[in-house]
Amino acid sequence: MPDKKLPWSSSVWAVIHKDALCELRTRYAISALSMFALVTLASISMSLAGAALTPALAAVLLWVILFFCAMAGLARVFVQEQEAGTLFTLRLYAKGQAVFFGKTLFNILLLWALTLLIIPLFIVLLNFDIPLWAPLMAVLALGDAGIAAVATLTALMVARTGGKGSLFTVITFPLLLPQFLAVIAATAAIFGGTSPTFADYLFMAGYDIAMLIAASIAFDYLWYD
Amino acid sequence: MDRTTIENCLTALLTAGVVYAVFFIVPPAEGLGHLVRIAFFHIPVAWVSVLAFLLSAFWALKYLRTRDAVYDRQSSAAAGLGFIFCILATVSGAIFAKLTWGAYWNWDPRQTTIFILLLIYGAYLALRSSLEESEQRARVSAVYSLLSFITVPFLVFIIPRYYFSLHPAPVINGAGKLDMDRIMLYVLLAALAACTAIFWRTLTWQVDRKRRREMSDITPVKEGF
Repeated sequence: MPDKKLPWSSSVWAVIHKDALCELRTRYAISALSMFALVTLASISMSLAGAALTPALAAVLLWVILFFCAMAGLARVFVQEQEAGTLFTLRLYAKGQAVFFGKTLFNILLLWALTLLIIPLFIVLLNFDIPLWAPLMAVLALGDAGIAAVATLTALMVARTGGKGSLFTVITFPLLLPQFLAVIAATAAIFGGTSPTFADYLFMAGYDIAMLIAASIAFDYLWYD
Repeated sequence: MDRTTIENCLTALLTAGVVYAVFFIVPPAEGLGHLVRIAFFHIPVAWVSVLAFLLSAFWALKYLRTRDAVYDRQSSAAAGLGFIFCILATVSGAIFAKLTWGAYWNWDPRQTTIFILLLIYGAYLALRSSLEESEQRARVSAVYSLLSFITVPFLVFIIPRYYFSLHPAPVINGAGKLDMDRIMLYVLLAALAACTAIFWRTLTWQVDRKRRREMSDITPVKEGF
């Protein structure tokens, strides 16, 4: 059943569905990522031994944990396909853009789920109160979307190198830096009790959109030989 | 004498002239004294590291559009040289900062920018070295080069917002006026020209060397019976 006859949205949904099904069967990514988050948070909490966190430090810690959790799991969307030898089959069945948006959406959903797990742990283990919930959720959602958009493309690059996993963080971090700086500053402001400005949200959303467009254009150059 | 030799001789002559002017003609600057001489090395190498980044992205785009290997050779050679110039700019900047501001590193916007450029170059070269097949290497690294270029406007917008700068204004300041001694300005322009010429000559030599190496790799081996 060649996928090319399906409408674009159905192809995207099929890719997400396939990845979710694979994930639910093995539960590798979500269990590895959850444990990674727990270990990181616990090690920070133990080292701090109850010491008070400043808003800026708490924001940095939260995003460093989120970033490295993402780096531990997001490359899997393509590296796993490469290892299982299914990359070629996927290329036969689905168009590049459907694969890119399907994998990116799956990564966004995975990161959002991970964030929802990390936030309560963060509050409990670091004994930290969050003054503004709605702005924090918006900043987390935008930041996660940016990480997922860039990481999906760099994951394909890493798959092309034969799964050299250590490269993933190295090549993703420089591309994520603008968003990283913006979300940390916005989160620090929220932890300090002030809501980010409209311009801050605009910057974060603008980065996400620009990266999604650029990555989707660039994706075709990597997807088709 | 062929054209290459003439160009090399002219570059050497210009560089020698600039070195002489920096040490014997340029007057000590107000406030900085003789330390100002470092600027005649620091500004040109920083300029070349940015120029190399732009050229690398430009040739990467040309490669993706034409798939002509010559653009890949140019793009990768520009990135390789850009990395060296970027290290020189970072080190000379850090020394200059220690002598004038009292600390090697304080995350000044310019230091942050050059550091990010260093990260991008490092990631690009690490990615490139991990790919073995030449066509794939060219394609993946061209995509990475272009994608890193897209983050530049975001960085230009975000970095000055979060970091306070001690760095002096560029040669032409915000008001559009030249705020520099005439002799210093001429020597600086000559130093910029000399540094760009050194970069260009080395780039041409490297591109030619890569071409010869690739040609020798694909030359069929004569087999005797």
